[in-house]
Amino acid sequence: MLALSGLVLTFYMALIPEPVRQQLADRFATVLTGPVHLTLYTRPGSSRLILPAGLGCPTCEDAGQMAELLRDAAPEKITLDVVDVSRDAARVEIDGVDDVPTIAIGSNSDIGRIRFQGLPTGTEFPALIDAVERVSRAEHGLSPESVAALDQLTEPTEVLVFATPT
Amino acid sequence: MALASPQITAVCVEANEFTHLSNQFRVRGVPHTVINRRASFVGALPEPDFVAAVLEGAGVAIEEPHEAPSGPSTEIAN
Repeated sequence: MLALSGLVLTFYMALIPEPVRQQLADRFATVLTGPVHLTLYTRPGSSRLILPAGLGCPTCEDAGQMAELLRDAAPEKITLDVVDVSRDAARVEIDGVDDVPTIAIGSNSDIGRIRFQGLPTGTEFPALIDAVERVSRAEHGLSPESVAALDQLTEPTEVLVFATPT
Repeated sequence: MALASPQITAVCVEANEFTHLSNQFRVRGVPHTVINRRASFVGALPEPDFVAAVLEGAGVAIEEPHEAPSGPSTEIAN
């Protein structure tokens, strides 16, 4: 049993090493100000096999660990809600989430409008951390001119940004 | 940008993982931005150009003439 726990722990830590967890906790302790609500849309128990689109979810397990990493780094500020898309079709429809895994970031329990679809590793990981911090601090970082221009939007607008970890 | 406007939902899509979306929107390089699944541009634009591209993609008439975005802009034919 102990050996099994050790094996599981070794694998768990292989994805996100302990020093990174501590570093993140230290950073969040000073940077985060307001609450952050994460929603993980996932298909629990999926195998890591890569199946045709729409079937399986090879990165759901890792995305779950990543969402938990964020929450555990600042549990007093960050809450995590897990939505099983294969059981909660109504929620998927309402929130408008197409694919899994998706991590949505919002400032309260409403649906987050900043989303990471797929496993945010590599260069996407700092972007994920940045998004959590910006939501917490309500800092969009845009110029007053940009904000004024964006005020012209009266309809829901989706901005998809395709990125790769490298 | 989604923090600056309650209308915007910003989604960062892992291009290698969702090949059906990458193929649908003809993603050949990153970053590749698609607005309302209709208009797109490739590359990291300066902030004013990015905002202008989002407004244009959303069908908002831009009041002030703006310099042309530095990246190529294309319409996606479905």
